[in-house]
Amino acid sequence: MSATYLVVDDSRLHHQMYDLIFSRPALAGSRVLHAYDGRDGYAQFAAHPDLAMVFLDLNMPVMTGLEFLDLRRRDARHLHIPVVLVTTESSADDESRGMAAGAWAYLRKPFHPAQLESLAARASQASEPVRTA
Amino acid sequence: MKRAEGVLEFTDRLQVAAAPAAAVERELHLLIFALGPEPYAVPVAMVREVVRVADITRVPDAPLHIRGVMNLRGRVLPVVELRTRLGLEAAALTPASRVVVAEVRGRIVGYLVDRVVQITRLGEGSVLDAPEEVRTGSADAITAVARRGDQLLRLLALERVLTAGD
Amino acid sequence: MTAPDHPFAALLADYVAECLPLAEDVLERSLALERAWAGGEEAADLYGPLQGLLHTIKGNSAMMGLRPAQELAHALEDLAESLATGPARRRDGVEVLVRGTGLLADLVRSAAIGDSPDSAHYLEELRRFLDQTVDLPAEPARVERRGGDRREDADRMVTTVRVESHRLDALLEALGETMIAQAGLRDAVKRVTRGRRGTPEESGLDQAVLALGRTLQQLEQDLMETRLLPIATVFGRFTRLVRDLARGEGKEVRLEAAGGDTRLDKTVIDRMGEPLVHLVTNAIIHGIEPPEQRVELGKPAEAVITLRAAQRGDRVVLTVSDDGRGLDPAKLLHKARALGHAPASGTPALEEIYGFAFLPGLSTAERVSSLSGRGVGLDVVGLSIRSLGGQVSVTSEPGRGTTFTLRLPLTVAVLRSLLVEVDKERYAVPLADIAETLRMGPDVLRQAITQGTLIWRDQVIPVIDASHVLGLEVPWGVPACPEAPTKGRRYCVVLKAATHHRGLLVDSLLGHQEVVVKALDPTLGRPETIAATTILGDGRVACILDAAGIADGAIEARGCG
Repeated sequence: MSATYLVVDDSRLHHQMYDLIFSRPALAGSRVLHAYDGRDGYAQFAAHPDLAMVFLDLNMPVMTGLEFLDLRRRDARHLHIPVVLVTTESSADDESRGMAAGAWAYLRKPFHPAQLESLAARASQASEPVRTA
Repeated sequence: MKRAEGVLEFTDRLQVAAAPAAAVERELHLLIFALGPEPYAVPVAMVREVVRVADITRVPDAPLHIRGVMNLRGRVLPVVELRTRLGLEAAALTPASRVVVAEVRGRIVGYLVDRVVQITRLGEGSVLDAPEEVRTGSADAITAVARRGDQLLRLLALERVLTAGD
Repeated sequence: MTAPDHPFAALLADYVAECLPLAEDVLERSLALERAWAGGEEAADLYGPLQGLLHTIKGNSAMMGLRPAQELAHALEDLAESLATGPARRRDGVEVLVRGTGLLADLVRSAAIGDSPDSAHYLEELRRFLDQTVDLPAEPARVERRGGDRREDADRMVTTVRVESHRLDALLEALGETMIAQAGLRDAVKRVTRGRRGTPEESGLDQAVLALGRTLQQLEQDLMETRLLPIATVFGRFTRLVRDLARGEGKEVRLEAAGGDTRLDKTVIDRMGEPLVHLVTNAIIHGIEPPEQRVELGKPAEAVITLRAAQRGDRVVLTVSDDGRGLDPAKLLHKARALGHAPASGTPALEEIYGFAFLPGLSTAERVSSLSGRGVGLDVVGLSIRSLGGQVSVTSEPGRGTTFTLRLPLTVAVLRSLLVEVDKERYAVPLADIAETLRMGPDVLRQAITQGTLIWRDQVIPVIDASHVLGLEVPWGVPACPEAPTKGRRYCVVLKAATHHRGLLVDSLLGHQEVVVKALDPTLGRPETIAATTILGDGRVACILDAAGIADGAIEARGCG
């Protein structure tokens, strides 16, 4: 299946990691869009209603992950697309705020590729938020 | 023969000669100088250099036995009048007078002597207790002597020359 | 090093490429914070990006399976937060931070090679530092953890080089010797060209030597400025001291500081810490009343101690003020009389009475405090300040408070002085402490000897023979009791302290001289009349007089026998 994913993260290294993960057998054939700040990410998000999932970093310049979610909720834009908030173990506050702002799940760094793969697999079936350790 | 306490201080600062075999007597490496007719000695390891006496400037209110200060290549060096410290009378400087520059307790101090004789090595076994009158006369700065031929060198503990208050 | 079977092992080089510049940026920002905090600036804008950078490095390192870097970045985030919200710990903590950020950069740099430095030792030290209880109230501002634009400040940052201060000291010492050599060269040139005054060769040589001297002076000034540090580095120590001491004394005291960015030579800063601590301690122990008493007097229960610094020309003026009980002039005078420092009758001027506070034996309270014994006598403070070439004075409003004023030279290395000769010895007298020099006619001289006074500018000032105050012995080892050595004393140098003048009789004036100050060797103890030593152009050592000490009468003439 050829799905399109959007990665919004200001770290190039992270983008390379995502590329590596999406080139593994489990997700082979996927297409990945890259955005390096929240605003550009939102623009790409708005332009692609067919996204299978968005991976959204928290701390970014110009627009943060939480601001991205708030904007999506205000615009009521593409609410069907699951957005995964990528967090760290010290951002518990942000996780709850993110879930309240409409994130579908959160994924804590450091994560193993298998965790991401399993989230992606559940995307099509999910109807409620999923918490991932 | 009982060892004087002063000996231990000396042997702490020995330059130990290379010992191929086991039981070799340790050596004292000494600088011999004279105050008046008497010979004295200090460990070479404490001596940085020996210089001619430059002009000594008096420092009012300096501690007792500090004759003054002199310029040692840009350093203001305090100079101790060893004669008076060891119970002798002060004497005029002569062309043979020298300042022995030593490092004592982390400080660099000069000691004024009448003349410097030579450097020598003596075996530890040549060390004896100093006679009572030498010990008291020096306020315990000399507690040991070393025999060298028919001479008796007074081993001076430099760290006892200036009192603890300095 | 990332394990070879780690999913992201192939990205190690990319990790280094991304994170190394970030780590270096973190290090630069830590250095900038160190400077800012030393200068008393809050620098909140530096702090935010620092946090964001550490956060990113932590996340990336975690993703790469690089535990040491991840843990270190995390610990540094905690440390930076602790310092941002707890200013009292900054002085010690920022040094730990800078070291840690340097270590982090090394860890990142070596990630691809696999030969990483050990961070466990540092982490332990950092955790111990963080565990120390900090009980000062935290700063109200809660710093936001935002990424922000990390690159925005890059252009504004100044390149810095870390230099250990002992290297600067060595440079200055070498420069000092060069200046002495130049002075010697100048003398030698003068002697050699004696017969050739006015010739082109002579003026050429003269010009060259003068130009060399000017260049050296400029070099010295530039070097000295590398050693200028903001006074805030000293002020920073006081918050905790004040709090602990006040608590121990059962008093409530607040510390305020101003002018912390005034800059002083590092040596002066290093050495003035102690006298300042004594002044603050004295204020808390003796000057400030217990809270209940203050309230009864209509004062706020919490007392205030203010540290203020400002530059005036080539001096820095520091004040330590409190709003406590002030000094009682009547008590001071009474005690001074009892100790023989003041005549039994007649009332000296108020300024002079306050000056008595610096005489030995005059601390006005007898209580022993648990923290600091008796409190240090102000005479010791006076001596410390004078050994730096400075002056200290005090004013007070009884019941309202006390203010100590310290005047310190900006730099301690070079002193403009007047060389004088007394009994064939030369002494340097700091020009700043001289009000005037007078030639003494025989009648005036006779009167000065017999009465010990001189009429100068409509004042009557005390006069003393230099050899009396210096207590010089004539031939070495023979105590002297000079009776009337004054026939040779043709000049009087009028010395000034903050509120006093005193004439010093000397044989001759040898001219102005810039002298390189060499601090007194500890072996020389604490001579009362000598502040420091110097090496003159002819290579001989001369003593620099503690002119202010002599002037304010702290040093009396020695009797004989």
